[in-house]
Amino acid sequence: MSAGVALASLASLAPAGPSIPLQFADALIEFLSPTTLVDVILRGIAEASLYVMIAAGLTLVFGLMGVLNFAHGSLTMLGAYLGGLVLVVAVAQSTGGVGRLLAFGVAVVVAFGALAALGGGIEVGLVRPIYDRPPLYQILLTFGVTLVLDELARIVVLFYGLQPTTVWQDVLGTKPVVLAESVGAAGVSVSGLELFQILFGVATVVGVHLFLTRTRYGLYVRAGGEDSEMLSALGVDVNRVFTVVFALGTGIAGAAGVLLAWDPSWGASVPLAAETLLPAFVVVIVGGLGTFRGTVVAALIVGLVDSSMTWWFQNFVDFTGLPEMVVFLVLVITLIVKPQGLYGVSEVGGH
Amino acid sequence: MVLAFALYPGVYALLADSGLSTEVVAVLPRIETLVVVLFFGLFAMSFDFISGYTGYLSFGHAAFYGTGAYVVALGANGKLPALGPETPFMLLLVLAGVAAAVLALAIGSVSFRLSGVYFAMITLGFSQVLYVFVRDWDFVSSAPRDGVAVTGTLEGFRIGVPGVDGLNVAIGQLTGDSIEGLFGFINLSPTEVSFYAIGAVVLVCYLAMQRLVHSPFGRTLIAIRENEERARAIGYNTYAYKLGAFVASGFFAGIAGALFVGFRRSVTPENGFYFLVAGDALLVSIIGGFGTLAGPLYGELFDASVREFLSKEGGGGGLLPYLRANVGDATLATELYNGLTVAEAIDTFLNGHAALYVGLLFVLFVLYVPNGLLGTARDRMDGTLAKAVPRRVRRWFDG
Repeated sequence: MSAGVALASLASLAPAGPSIPLQFADALIEFLSPTTLVDVILRGIAEASLYVMIAAGLTLVFGLMGVLNFAHGSLTMLGAYLGGLVLVVAVAQSTGGVGRLLAFGVAVVVAFGALAALGGGIEVGLVRPIYDRPPLYQILLTFGVTLVLDELARIVVLFYGLQPTTVWQDVLGTKPVVLAESVGAAGVSVSGLELFQILFGVATVVGVHLFLTRTRYGLYVRAGGEDSEMLSALGVDVNRVFTVVFALGTGIAGAAGVLLAWDPSWGASVPLAAETLLPAFVVVIVGGLGTFRGTVVAALIVGLVDSSMTWWFQNFVDFTGLPEMVVFLVLVITLIVKPQGLYGVSEVGGH
Repeated sequence: MVLAFALYPGVYALLADSGLSTEVVAVLPRIETLVVVLFFGLFAMSFDFISGYTGYLSFGHAAFYGTGAYVVALGANGKLPALGPETPFMLLLVLAGVAAAVLALAIGSVSFRLSGVYFAMITLGFSQVLYVFVRDWDFVSSAPRDGVAVTGTLEGFRIGVPGVDGLNVAIGQLTGDSIEGLFGFINLSPTEVSFYAIGAVVLVCYLAMQRLVHSPFGRTLIAIRENEERARAIGYNTYAYKLGAFVASGFFAGIAGALFVGFRRSVTPENGFYFLVAGDALLVSIIGGFGTLAGPLYGELFDASVREFLSKEGGGGGLLPYLRANVGDATLATELYNGLTVAEAIDTFLNGHAALYVGLLFVLFVLYVPNGLLGTARDRMDGTLAKAVPRRVRRWFDG
């Protein structure tokens, strides 16, 4: 019902011109023109790279342990602040582009390491005692962890004289000039940052894929996702595998945070926690809980939907929340049509 | 317990005048906070009614609260079709509940095909769609992001028995009635009148939910929570039961949202539809006791008290003003570490950061007291408090 109401009012929100169908056709033709389309698709892939980085850790943890980690967004936010701190300290006015990229590499490593340690600590101290309780309690626990982490971040950020609700501008200032400029070819322009994000996202996907298929731990993760009791019967220390995977998942969240800290439309701030958590959920659920392949495909879908809806909002439909709303509609519709998500297995997640 | 709530304003006024007044003002919540406890407690109870009793986590419950709130705000501004701005509040209250219930029927009929994590996610998805929609829909007000304030009418919303003028009172901090000389000696400020009027509505709703929970209908819900497949095997149409419970829960959540606007006279997307509103309900339900119905109210009472105690403004008393008034400046200016004084430390780590401590406590509750305050108390006492306490007392006297 809600969708129907939403669409009906969307129609009424369109600019009152001589005839709406005609305007719509005009906009559609413009949208389908090659340059616009390529532009939108590139932007969509850049966004998909961000989404896949945010969601990868979440899906790894869920696939193995069946824990939907509500604290994931907060960990991404902490990664953004930590990475931002490294960048602000390491980069001076005079630092060149290569130096800045190197500093970024250091920031990613620091954020990954610190968050992995924190994640490992959370798993051992808090999550491990309640694996045998209903899944509800793991959601509750990680939700509580979110509250604590967000508030701690707020205290620290306020203490150093920054505003927790607004983006930390100093970090954006450490971005090399190359990334802020646009690269243009044949009428299509794409910003350096978007190319950088795509590169980073592809590297993450390849890295996680290699981890899952080529390493011993990856084998444990895939086996544990099917049957963790059997895995421990075969002599694998399942507890340690759980801890490592949880740490890895939160580490990726931290690295994603560093990448977001350079993007002006996200940026390091405390509300980033909720802003990243919700799209991560959408991506993970649409792809099917616990399948990495599904997460990648879903990230692409959500990224492309988001970027094309952003175009429609800027050019035709006068409704600010359009991209965000359609992303959530994708979640709702996927769950109605295909309850396990695109690649999900029906047993996972309490069906 | 009802009696304790009813007597609280009197006791508070009495204590605030007594010799301990500064301590009392610092520690006890204000009446204004208690009004919030009442209507948000009702929302948390409605959340507990569906999630605590059927085991289905309705993470998008804020949608119903927000719907109730917006129905009243829009109705009072004359924006609802066929209803003028002078529509009585009691009618709007019921309408808000019905609108939320209809929404619950729509959302529930598709969502209950799913279970577990997926159910939580689809309800979250629905509520976020509505949140974004309301946030950017310029029909609701000229600046939808800042929410809606009631501007269509300047009079307070009236709660009472329809048609009987003497039994109606207006609520609201500035717009409410004040009562003087009731039974010759009781004087009530507008906030206190609101407290009783809203308390009466909440009590009626609580009793209705309590009746439902203790009826065969409620028993079936518990059966679904414990083992849904067995409940279905016995022959219950579990889908219909779950949907029925969801609609009832949505209705009461809508009422809670309506009371919220009735008292505050404004609502924003953030405190109406945003998913963290449901998160707060979840929080207080766990602290108070999941699946106990009355527990969430106590959880909310606890949560609100801590928040007020550590509030930034210190408007209703609280820690910092109390210390300022009663501890010498020298102590407060003592350096703890590297130029950080005691006052600054309190300001940095305590004030306005109640969420940190409530969150820590919440984690501890999930780990060690999964049944919450009321649930654990009932386990210890072996039955509901209303029955167990007299039994204990009797045993005490019998020796």
